[in-house]
Amino acid sequence: MANINIDAPGTSQLFMGNEAIARGALEAGIGFAAAYPGTPSSEILGSLASVAKETGIYAEWSVNEKVAMEAAAGASFAGIRALAAMKQNGINVVSDFLANLVMSGIGKGGLVLVSCDDPSAISSSNEQDTRPIAKWLDIPLVEPGDFQEAKDMTKWLFDLSEEIGTLFMLRSVTRIAHARGNVVLGELPKKERRAYFDQIHDLKSVMPTTFMPVPSPLRHFFLHMKMDKARQKFEASRFNRYVGPDKADLLIVTCGSCWLYSQDAVKTLKLEDKVGILKLGTLWPLPEKFVESHLGKSQKVLFVEEIDPFLERSIMEFVASLPSTSPRPTFYGKRSGHINAYGELNPDLVIKAISNILGLTYQPRDAEYSDKAEAAAKSHVPERSMTFCAGCPHRATFWAIKNALKLDGRNGFVTGDIGCYSIALGPAGFFQVRTMHCMGGGAGVANGLGKLGQFGFNQPVLAVVGDSTFYHATIPALINGIYNQSDFILVILDNSATAMTGFQPHPGTGMTAMGEPTKVVSMEALCRSLGARVKVCDPFDLKHTTTTLLDMMAEGGGAKVAIMRRQCELVRGKKEKPPYKVQVDTEKCIGEACGCDRLCTRVFLCPALIWDKKAGKSKIDEVICTGCGVCTDICPQGAIIKEAA
Amino acid sequence: MVAVAKGCKEIITDVIDAGLCALCGACTGNCPYLVYYKGRIALLDNCTLSDGLCYKYCPRTYVDMDAISQQVFGVPYSEEEIGIAREALMARTTDTRIREEAQYGGVVTTLLSLALAEGLIDKVVLTKTSDDKTASPVLAQSEKEVLQCAGSNYMACPVLSAYNQIPKNDVSKLGIVGVPCQVLAVTKMKKDPPINRATISNVKLVIGLFCTWALSPDKFHRFLREKLDLSKVKKFDIPPPPANRFDVYTTSGEISLPLDEIRKFTMPTCAYCLDMTSEFADISVGSVEGIEGWNTVIIRTTVGAELMKAAKAKKKLETDKLPSGNLTHLKEAALLKKKRALKEIIQRSGDENNLIYVGLSPEFVKKLQD
Repeated sequence: MANINIDAPGTSQLFMGNEAIARGALEAGIGFAAAYPGTPSSEILGSLASVAKETGIYAEWSVNEKVAMEAAAGASFAGIRALAAMKQNGINVVSDFLANLVMSGIGKGGLVLVSCDDPSAISSSNEQDTRPIAKWLDIPLVEPGDFQEAKDMTKWLFDLSEEIGTLFMLRSVTRIAHARGNVVLGELPKKERRAYFDQIHDLKSVMPTTFMPVPSPLRHFFLHMKMDKARQKFEASRFNRYVGPDKADLLIVTCGSCWLYSQDAVKTLKLEDKVGILKLGTLWPLPEKFVESHLGKSQKVLFVEEIDPFLERSIMEFVASLPSTSPRPTFYGKRSGHINAYGELNPDLVIKAISNILGLTYQPRDAEYSDKAEAAAKSHVPERSMTFCAGCPHRATFWAIKNALKLDGRNGFVTGDIGCYSIALGPAGFFQVRTMHCMGGGAGVANGLGKLGQFGFNQPVLAVVGDSTFYHATIPALINGIYNQSDFILVILDNSATAMTGFQPHPGTGMTAMGEPTKVVSMEALCRSLGARVKVCDPFDLKHTTTTLLDMMAEGGGAKVAIMRRQCELVRGKKEKPPYKVQVDTEKCIGEACGCDRLCTRVFLCPALIWDKKAGKSKIDEVICTGCGVCTDICPQGAIIKEAA
Repeated sequence: MVAVAKGCKEIITDVIDAGLCALCGACTGNCPYLVYYKGRIALLDNCTLSDGLCYKYCPRTYVDMDAISQQVFGVPYSEEEIGIAREALMARTTDTRIREEAQYGGVVTTLLSLALAEGLIDKVVLTKTSDDKTASPVLAQSEKEVLQCAGSNYMACPVLSAYNQIPKNDVSKLGIVGVPCQVLAVTKMKKDPPINRATISNVKLVIGLFCTWALSPDKFHRFLREKLDLSKVKKFDIPPPPANRFDVYTTSGEISLPLDEIRKFTMPTCAYCLDMTSEFADISVGSVEGIEGWNTVIIRTTVGAELMKAAKAKKKLETDKLPSGNLTHLKEAALLKKKRALKEIIQRSGDENNLIYVGLSPEFVKKLQD
C-alpha cells in the first residue's frame, strides 16, 4: 500500500481510490477511524491504520460494521472527526443505528460514512446498491467520479458534516476503490484534537444531550431542514459539471466510475460535439436547480450509473414534479433496458447504448477476429473454478465434513456463511455448503432447522462459520441455540485470520489494526461459558476430525461447537518453511483405474495435485505445493508420500 | 439376463437402495468411494467409472451359476441340494484350547491353524468379534490370531474388505472364511480376477460356513445393547429347530431370547439367497443337529480333501460318519432355502424368467420348484 501520510502538498501521487479516501480523511484532520474488513473497502482502514501512530489518529478493526459505525459516532459525539468504512453489506448491518443517528444528529466532530459497492458481486455474496439508503433515511450522499474526487470529496464532507450537524455518506465502487490514479495532495493539518463529551448542565434544558432520536417527529422535521441546507451546498458544488455542446443529440447523465466510462464511450465514437455528459458528484439531496438547468440540452437523456437506477429515478421523479411547460426529454437507462439493470458496467456497454439510441452501428472489432479470439481462448485457456489455496485447512475440514455426513447417512448438510469457506458451495469444498446469506446467517438458519424435530426432521445440521464471522455475528445465534435448545453443530473454522479480505486481525488473533498485541478472546472459553459442549480439532488430522463430527451428530441434544483450528496457509507460509516434501510414488498410483478414479485430481482438487495425462498418473506441482501433507491420507493406494522437510 | 458392466452408481441403485446388499464387503476396502460404516455401505463421492469391480464381484449382481461352477469344479452348477460334495462327514478338534473357544467342533479354527503351520496359507481373512460384540474384518497371521476369531457372530460383517485392502504386490498366500454370499463373491473374483489388489490366485483356501440368514449389524446390535450388558457376554448360539431360541451365554449365566423376536433383524437380502452350505468353498462347515460339540464338514475340492487328509493324519481332527438322518435333514433344509429364495425372487421381480441376479436356466428353476 502507498504511504498516504506524505507531507508534500501540491505533488501528484499514485493512489488507489481507497487510499485517496483515507488521504482525504487525514487532510480533514480525522481522529478516529473504524471499519470491518470488506472488499472493496478494506484498504481505507488498512492504510489509515498503517500511519495511525505517526499521525496520532486511532484506527481499529471493529468486530463488525455496526460497532464500527457506533464507535465512530461516539468519537463524533465527543468532538473528534470520525470515519466508518464498509462494503455494501455493512450498510445493511448499520442501518438500524443510522435510522436513529439521522434523527439524533451527530456531535461536534464531523462524521463520514464510506460505502464501497461491488457491482457484479465479484467479491461478494450479493450485488447491492447502497445509495438508496440515503433517500430512505435522509443522509446526504456523494459519489466520486475519479481518484482526485475521492480525496477531495472526503475532505469536504467533514466540513459539511460539522456545519450541518448530520453524517454524510460517500459511495464508491470497486473500479474507483481498487484502481489507481493520480491524486494531487493537499495540506496535512497540524492541530491538536481534544475529545470531550458535552453535556448541558443548564436546568432549563429538558435533555442533557442531543444524542437521541426523540421526540422523533420533531427530529424528523429538523432532519429535513438539514437536508435542505445540504441541497443548497450541493447546488453550488464543483463536483457537478457539464461537458458538451449547448444543444446535444444525447445528454448522458452519469456519476461515479460511469463518468469515466461515458467519457471513454463518447471519445471512442467521436461524438464529443454531439453528446454532452452531465456528471453529478452530489447525488442526494438532488441538486434540482442544477439538474433542471441542463435538462433542456437534449431531447434524449441516457442515465449511466452502477447497479440501481438511483439517479435515474431521482431525476425522473423530479422532472415529474415540474410544470408541464418544462422540457420532457425521452429517458433512457435501466428502466428502458439500454443500460444493464444488473451486473457491472464498462465502456463497451455504454458505447452500445449510445449507438442504439442514436441509431449508429459500431463494430468494436472484426467479427472474424472475435470468433478466432474466442476459439483460441477455449482451447488454450484452462478452465478455472474457484478453489482453496494449496494447504488450506478448509479443504481438509470440508473433506472431513463430507465424509462424516455421508457415513452418518441421514442426509445431513451444511448451512454456510461468508468468508473463504463460502467457496465450499462449489467443487473445491465438495459442494458441501447448501445455504449462504449474510454474516452469521448460517448459524441463524441452523437454529430454525434444529427445532424441526417435531415435524419429523432428523437430518444433522452443521453451521459452518469462520473465526472472524464468529465474532462478527454468530454469538447471538449460538446463544439462541443453547437457550432455545436447537439441535445443530456450530463448526468454527479457526484459521487465525480474516483471510478472504486480506488477513486482517480479529479478536481471536491477539493483534489490533495498529499492530499492537492485545487480549485474545478465546472462542472455546466463550462457547463453554455459554454452556455449549465444545470440541477442538486439527482439520489436518482427518480421521480424528471425521470421528469427532460423527460422534457429535450421533449425540444430538442442543447446540454444540466444533472448532477446527489450523492457521491459514498463506499466513503460515510467510513465517515458516513447508513441513513436508510430498511426492507421488508412480508405482503405486493407479490413477484412473477402479480403486481410485483419480480421487486426488478429480475430487480432492488441491491445485498442487496435477494429472499427468501422458503417464496416466498424478503428480505434485512442486511450485504450488505447500508441503501440508494432507493428500497422503487421501490417496486410497497410499501412493502419495510425505517426508519431513 | 446377462452380465453388464456397471459401476458404483448401479451398486447404489440396483443393490444397496434395492435392499439387496449383504454387507459381504466385496465392494469395499479398495475403493475410496464405497465405505462400510455402522451397518451400511456409504458412498462418499461419485466414481465416474462405468465398469467397476464393485459391481462385478457383488454377489447380488448377475452371476452365471454354471460359469462359476465351471471355474471351481469344472462342471455346470449342480442340482444337488448341498452342492458338489466329495464327502460329508462330522468332525471335531482334538485341541482342548480350541475346544474352549469353539462354537461347535472347532473345525474351522483347527483347519486354519494347520494350513498356517503347513505353509498352505500365510494369512487368513476372518471375522473378529470385539468385546462390545461388534464384528470386524481382520487379516490373521498366526494361530493365536486365528483362535481370537473363533466362535459365531450372527451379524453381517464386510469381511472381504480385508482381502481388498491387501496391497497388489503382496505375495502372501491367503485363506478366506466366509458365509455363502462372501464365498460367491470370491468365486466371481476367481472367474474374473481383480486388478490393483493382491492377486486372487494367492487365495489358496476358502472355507465356507453354513448360513440361513445373517442379522443386521446396527439394528440387531442396538437391540442387544438395550437388552444386555454386552461386556458380560461370552457366546451366542442359535440351536437347531425345534428350539426356536437365540441363546446368550454370559459370565453370570445363560439367557434365551425368543427367536421370533430376533428374526425381524435379519438382513432383507437373505430372503433371496439360494445357498445354505457355501457351495463354492473348498470346505464347508456347520453344526450337527442334535450332536453338541461336533461340526458337519463338506469336502468339495482337492484342496479341501488334502487339507482334511492332513488334519486326520496329524490327529488334529477327530472325524466320524455323519448320521444319515442328519445328512437327509441337511439336504432338506438346503433345498427348502433354495425353494423359498426362488419364490421370493420371482415374487419380487413379478416374472418367472427374471431371477434378479441369479443366472440359472428356466429348466433348472422348474426342477427346483417341483
